[in-house]
Amino acid sequence: MEAALLLTAQAIVSGILVGGVYGVLSVGLSLAFGVMRIVNFAHGELVMYGMYVGVIASRDFGIDPLWVLPLSFLLTAVVGMLQYQIVFRRFVGYATLQQLLAAIGCALVLQMVVQLIFGADARTAVSMFTGQYLLVGPLFFSQAQIVAFGIAVLATIGVELLLRSTGWGKAVRAVADDLEAAEVVGINSQYINIGAFALSTGLAGIAGTVLVTYFPTSPSTGFQLMPLIIVATTIGGLGSIGGTFLGGLFCGIVQQLTAMLWNSALQDVPLYMLLLLFIMFRPTGFFGMRSE
Amino acid sequence: MDAAMTREGGARSTGTRPIDANRWQGLAWFAIPMMIAAVLPLLPFVNDYIIAATVRALIFIALGQAWNIAAGIGGLLSLGHGVFLGIGCYTTGILFNKLGLPPWIGGWVGMLLSMAFALVMGAMTLRMRGVFFALATVAVSLAMVQIARQYVDLTGGADGLALKFIGNSLWAMQSRTPSAFLYAALVFVILYYWITRRILVSKLGLDMQAVRDDEVAAAACGVPVFRTKLIGFMLSAAMTSLAAVLYIQFYMAIDPEAAFGLTQAIQLQLPALIGGLGTAGGPVIGGAVMIFLSEVTNWGSTKIGVSGADILVYGLLLLVVVLRAPKGIVGWWWAPSRRREAVP
Repeated sequence: MEAALLLTAQAIVSGILVGGVYGVLSVGLSLAFGVMRIVNFAHGELVMYGMYVGVIASRDFGIDPLWVLPLSFLLTAVVGMLQYQIVFRRFVGYATLQQLLAAIGCALVLQMVVQLIFGADARTAVSMFTGQYLLVGPLFFSQAQIVAFGIAVLATIGVELLLRSTGWGKAVRAVADDLEAAEVVGINSQYINIGAFALSTGLAGIAGTVLVTYFPTSPSTGFQLMPLIIVATTIGGLGSIGGTFLGGLFCGIVQQLTAMLWNSALQDVPLYMLLLLFIMFRPTGFFGMRSE
Repeated sequence: MDAAMTREGGARSTGTRPIDANRWQGLAWFAIPMMIAAVLPLLPFVNDYIIAATVRALIFIALGQAWNIAAGIGGLLSLGHGVFLGIGCYTTGILFNKLGLPPWIGGWVGMLLSMAFALVMGAMTLRMRGVFFALATVAVSLAMVQIARQYVDLTGGADGLALKFIGNSLWAMQSRTPSAFLYAALVFVILYYWITRRILVSKLGLDMQAVRDDEVAAAACGVPVFRTKLIGFMLSAAMTSLAAVLYIQFYMAIDPEAAFGLTQAIQLQLPALIGGLGTAGGPVIGGAVMIFLSEVTNWGSTKIGVSGADILVYGLLLLVVVLRAPKGIVGWWWAPSRRREAVP
């Protein structure tokens, strides 16, 4: 009994730590959907790009991945801008099936470019916190996960502040609310959209670089993370930043509980079932915007 | 043009004729490559490699034709058709390996299982709108990957399931040479082509197209929207699952990623997307183009020693099709004549 309780507590604690990173992984997707109604199926690939930035920094230059966070933000933001200019520009405002297919095409291309350059095998990166552990009472904490959680929370708060209290953020929210009315009062929605999309993919890059300090990466990691990102976003609410972050936390807790109390090989199955139930009964999630 | 107005087509499908309703012309375009494929083993310069590549193309054409029923005619962009491919393959394989039942029986069992699965899955997901339906089918499919990895005793786990090879045998549908599969695959493709053409002009097909084009308007005209979607989805699942028999007998093995993975789901869609959604000829052209390009890139990339170039080509193809030719090769090729026909 005592042991089971301890296991549950441990699962919840690591669930929260992992879930924070899932949250920041998903915030970008939610932002792109909220502002432009774009479901960027290649979001996971941009996370993977962020992870490879961390790997290269750590392996080839011996720099701690945490110091190159701004660099990976810039790189993935630029990739995102290209993606927007080439593909998503013409789909703004409608989450259509064509748009989803185009995003899947992007995902395949981005993934295979990495595989052709770096090969298909898994790689790891080492930060100063990797492999360090902390014991608090009977509970067990990975330092890399704590740091990742902290950065995830900071990044999410940063985005929320950016959207709430800067002029640019106001413009983004205006475009999200009503594109035509925003244009009427003199906002150039193309600039706003490309900026918001770059922010969304840049966040993916940051999340990836943080994640790689305790999770190995390979070209297929993007496809592995994508379902989780979709679940977190749908449960939290597409388009809501805070809601999506909480959705990520929730996913982390459910996943860790499943892994520790039931079966770690089936850790994502309950999440997929939850996704189905949410799409059936509450497609706006807990905090999402009203459905179309 | 006149031929399009034959007995079945003309009366029921006034106004909204599918692109290749020009029946006899389309049939001729279909028959010529099929005849060439049929005499392929007799030609002097053809070796087993070319025949195997043709079989691969035909298998993906058949799978694409099955997906086309749901996605092209019914507008249900399922990213989870790997589920039915997987159920077909695993059922056939497990029944053969464990119980010695031949695929002649296992295939039908797999088909029934797939239809039951499609019924449950469809009942849960078919009321959702476009993108949400697609995401929900992804979730089901990826859950199946983990489930198939977990139950090692039954499925062989992540390593996959290999069929026991017993030599040339019609009873077990096994053959050392690919020529036998060539004819089996041809039968599938011709049968599925015929089914697609029949459906396009049938009551069910017209209902499906009406639902695809405008759900609200279709419902207002008395089309039972949900039931039509469900029947279309189950039909497509059954066809995918039957074609899966061919898949497993030809490849002799299946693993969770190859059955339920995202990359496979995308390969199932590409033939119809490249060739032209909702047309009978589309998946045939698209599948041939897809496999041809992937063989060429694989040949080229093994020369320089890299892997995955074919997936890169698939991604680029998908982007080009979606951005430049949303109606696929068929829609692009027949576009001018279609504009002429559009005049009532």
